[in-house]
Amino acid sequence: MSDTDTDESTPVVDELRDEIVARLRADLGDAVVDVYQVPQVDLWVRVTPESWRAAGEALRAQGFDYFCFLSAMDWMPSPFGDGENDPTEEVEEDPVASEIRQGYTGGDTRFQMLARVTDTRRHVSVTLKADLPQHDDGSMSIESWIPVYAGANWHERETHEMFGISFDGHPDLRNMYLPGDFEGYPLRKDFPLLARLVKPWPGIVDVEPMPASDNDEGDDS
Amino acid sequence: MTMLSERQQMSYIAAQAADARLNVELETEGMTLNIGPQHPATHGTLRIIARLDGEQVVWAEPSAGYMHRGYEKLTEVRTFPQVTALINRIDWLGSFANEVPFILAAEQLMDIEAPPRAQHIRTILFELSRIANVSLFLGDLGVQMGAVTPVFMAFRDREYVLNLIEGATGGRFHPNFDRIGGLKDDLPKGWLDETRQVMKKLRNFCDEIEDLLFGNEIFQSRTRGIGVIPADVARQYGLSGANLRASGVDWDLRRDQSLPLAYDKVDFRVWTHPDGDSWARCWIRLQEVREATKIVDQLIETLPPGPVMTKVPRIIKVPEGEAWVSTENPLGEMGYYVVSKGDLGPFRVKIRSASFNNISITPWVLKGVYVPDIITILASLYFILGDIDR
Amino acid sequence: MGLVDRGRLPAPLTKLFNIGRSYSMWVYQWGLACCAIEMGAAFGSPRYDVMRLGVIPLPASPRQADLVVVSGTVTDKMAPAVKRLYEQMPEPKYVISMGSCANCGGPYWDSYSVTKGVDQIVPVDVYVPGCPPRPEALLEGVVLLQQRIKHEDMGARWRGEGFKPIVRESEPIVVGGGPIE
Repeated sequence: MSDTDTDESTPVVDELRDEIVARLRADLGDAVVDVYQVPQVDLWVRVTPESWRAAGEALRAQGFDYFCFLSAMDWMPSPFGDGENDPTEEVEEDPVASEIRQGYTGGDTRFQMLARVTDTRRHVSVTLKADLPQHDDGSMSIESWIPVYAGANWHERETHEMFGISFDGHPDLRNMYLPGDFEGYPLRKDFPLLARLVKPWPGIVDVEPMPASDNDEGDDS
Repeated sequence: MTMLSERQQMSYIAAQAADARLNVELETEGMTLNIGPQHPATHGTLRIIARLDGEQVVWAEPSAGYMHRGYEKLTEVRTFPQVTALINRIDWLGSFANEVPFILAAEQLMDIEAPPRAQHIRTILFELSRIANVSLFLGDLGVQMGAVTPVFMAFRDREYVLNLIEGATGGRFHPNFDRIGGLKDDLPKGWLDETRQVMKKLRNFCDEIEDLLFGNEIFQSRTRGIGVIPADVARQYGLSGANLRASGVDWDLRRDQSLPLAYDKVDFRVWTHPDGDSWARCWIRLQEVREATKIVDQLIETLPPGPVMTKVPRIIKVPEGEAWVSTENPLGEMGYYVVSKGDLGPFRVKIRSASFNNISITPWVLKGVYVPDIITILASLYFILGDIDR
Repeated sequence: MGLVDRGRLPAPLTKLFNIGRSYSMWVYQWGLACCAIEMGAAFGSPRYDVMRLGVIPLPASPRQADLVVVSGTVTDKMAPAVKRLYEQMPEPKYVISMGSCANCGGPYWDSYSVTKGVDQIVPVDVYVPGCPPRPEALLEGVVLLQQRIKHEDMGARWRGEGFKPIVRESEPIVVGGGPIE
């Protein structure tokens, strides 16, 4: 899976994914903001939020007929920590770790849309991302993908209840999983897990020291 | 000349007239039927709200969420091995299959590969969990239609497979055996011979079920032509696994993807069916169990020697990045989108579970069917509640 | 005749009734998640047969059941249904909580949508730990419940005081070990 078997002077070329990107840029023009490709492995494309549905239609026209999933990402590091450290330890303020950094293909906003579609004939998939700008009252909205892929219905409902994103053009945006009187959007990073606030996980506790030996790397039990 | 007195006759006529007036005012459409959440026919806590017109469904919708445990939030506060232990429980019948795509995604991020023996054994256990999962489906299929006998046979034959998995991993299901970089342990002595015997038994089980259930005239009339899903609708909704192949789409992730599993070293046939009805979906799963037994037989013969774990540090920090891996799980395509920030645990894991997409098609497919067909269609689509609700 | 509720039933007769009750239970399986499969293996498979203990699975409705085995994770959305099911059962009724999700929330102890233990909703008689517990473990839970029923004071239960053992120093209630009679 890794491309380290070729020497560094000859980069691995992935013509299929290059062609997909070229056709997307031809269809959408400036709406394609960023592209990240791991050759022979995978492809990530970020588009502008206004062209979210247009990007879906462009991909569908190219032959991406299989709808994999649709969701969102919250890039803010959790203010409650990752739950793995001893709560009685002193935690130093780490400004680098607490800033919002987006992953592949970058971005400007805290929330991003994430979707994936597959082409069953050419055996290739694309992950699509888009920024989600927040309006003044903190809400976010984006066009619905239902006219493009009918299966996006349930995925958008789930994303709506987990993140609080509203989808324009969705016929029936109600809760998928949570009871009707649930308050808050669980998958946002500032939604706390109350049981962990009440009784924090004691952290990784080494019950006994490793036996002193040379091969402390191998994990053979 | 009637036996009734005149007074009785008059009261009879009056009652008929009253009934006639009432029948004009009675509404016969718009009855809402609530199936579940606890119902023997739903595989768990799925609630279906159906609006009926007589016996026909006008509109039906599943109401999921009765088993929503918040997996995606829980993975954010756990380390990678802890997440591996947790995600076993998403598809709780074939549980080893849940770990594999997650571990492969973590290995892709770390840019390591498990040794060939580990890949081989992973594939063997993957196929065994497929057999365990789908053999229970074949048994449950009978129960949904009203035939109670196959489920006892399914449980009996499934015990052999669970014994095998327990012998290798220590747990009947929820083995928690996969590790980043390989497996926890090697196979015990005598396991391979045992597996050969069990595969023969399972092929007998498949033949028995085919005779008992698939050859049955009642079963055929209840499933043929029911719940037809055309191929383009199936692809739009993201149906996967046997559901997609039953609509004629030739798409199998074992063959069409290159993952560090041993599928490229075995010959197997991908079964498709052009009809797209419930019969096709059930029949394809039966063939897939048979095919899985053949795959396991081939894998046993070609198991390479060597270690089962590469050198990884004891406490693993996966480098920053994003990875997506999906595999052909027993229920369909299951994938994990793992985002890591260089910590002990993932930053976000998006779990793409097969049954979520498979069941999202029910509002479309359940229009105009009869009430018993709701159960048939849901049985043939085959979901596990943990997979829908995560 | 009112002998039971007024506590006037002679002890040997209470013992006989208790033995009869414990060996003729109809168990309703409230199978929610993975433990439901092990419960199915315990109740429905020929290997870990539960009928040999006198406990018959698959009643037609909860109104005809004596015992309910709650197996699997109880979510907040599902909790009212569990309560309603419990209320539909006629007395005397018993609850076995199977698996760590039903005991205490289990691996989902910190989730936002999981009820941390079914004993927050219904009173539980026997807890069977495990994730999932082996079918033999569930059968041991059933046997321990039967032992408990054999020592039960029926009058107290009839009067609504819940479970109270018939106090006899020579018959301790052994939970989690000891000889099975």
